[in-house]
Amino acid sequence: MSDEQIKLIEKAVANALAGDMDAINDIEDRVTRSKAKAALVKAKRLAKATTPAEDPSNTDELKVGDSAPTEKSLSEKVAACLNEKFPNSLEAEDVNGHIQMKGKNWFKIAQYLRDNPDFLFDSLQCVTGYDFGEGEDLEVRYNLHSMTHNHTIEIRIKTDRNNPKVPSVEQVWRIGDWFERETFDMYGIEFEGHSNMIRILCPEDWEGWPLRKDYETQETYHGIVVPKVKDGWE
Amino acid sequence: MGVLENRFQDNVVVASMDKLLGWARSTSPWFFQFGLACCAIEMMATAASRYDLMRIGMIPRSSPRQADVMIVAGTVTMKMSLRVKKLYEQMADPKYVIAMGSCATSGGPYWQHGYHVLKGVDLVVPVDVYIPGCPPRPEALIEGLLKLQEKIQADRPLTKKIA
Repeated sequence: MSDEQIKLIEKAVANALAGDMDAINDIEDRVTRSKAKAALVKAKRLAKATTPAEDPSNTDELKVGDSAPTEKSLSEKVAACLNEKFPNSLEAEDVNGHIQMKGKNWFKIAQYLRDNPDFLFDSLQCVTGYDFGEGEDLEVRYNLHSMTHNHTIEIRIKTDRNNPKVPSVEQVWRIGDWFERETFDMYGIEFEGHSNMIRILCPEDWEGWPLRKDYETQETYHGIVVPKVKDGWE
Repeated sequence: MGVLENRFQDNVVVASMDKLLGWARSTSPWFFQFGLACCAIEMMATAASRYDLMRIGMIPRSSPRQADVMIVAGTVTMKMSLRVKKLYEQMADPKYVIAMGSCATSGGPYWQHGYHVLKGVDLVVPVDVYIPGCPPRPEALIEGLLKLQEKIQADRPLTKKIA
């Protein structure tokens, strides 16, 4: 885009913001005109985002905000509740979109979160393994969702790399059975209390934990070469 | 030679038995459908009415005991590779293998970094025809099958092979 075009667009957008839409509609070149329109939309959105207080339609919300200065997020509510019910179960006090927890009471806490009428997390949506790198810890992340209240939280539990063990929640949410087996398969994190802690995707006699950062593929599997062997095919 | 008796004049040799057998076998190679990934969809399309494999005498079978050709269609994982080998061994002789698609021929997109993928099914079983493509179109599969038919036709099952 030439400097001339940019200047033209800027001028047209400024005029349009002042209320004169003809400034944009009069641009003859079709491409430049559409670019100017896009710029106008962007400018309007920016103006809206930076000055919400001036917008008269927002005054109702502001009044509510005055009476209760900071509405607690769901994670904070859950964290406060857990702190009260299960002291010393949280690893970090500050909640930043997720709850960092110790593994110790996880089974009981999971039951509590599922059955408490305020939370009713009846669905375990995802279990994720996470590797922080060599010499660092492993982590398991649980995404819980409540069908009744339609709210979601994330819970993270760190565990030692050399002896990774986390209590199983298979008995709390049945889907946890396969989720935990998959996490075990990929990261070697053992879920204590799981009824069938074996690999789910890799063969049973596979060596190593494929998604760990220090994973190295085994050379052979039942006499079959695993890494690439054919040369000259690229 | 009950079929050919008294049909021709004396001393006329129509064709060698070998050729006859080769022709018969090549025009009815029933294939063992081995759909492992997206290639299986193309294989199904090939067998269905638009491309109609039946016109070249091929019927999909789901048991290795009834099949002459194994079409390995898709990504063969290390876990599956042992099963592929076992199923190949269960097929009755003479048997043929077609590696369909780039995964079965060389590992495909998992060529370099896929720890769990077999880098070509020919590491486990002998392959007769390779069909490139990701996945190959039905035309490509049919081309490969015709190549296989040529190969079967060239076989001489009754002739003594001199080593």
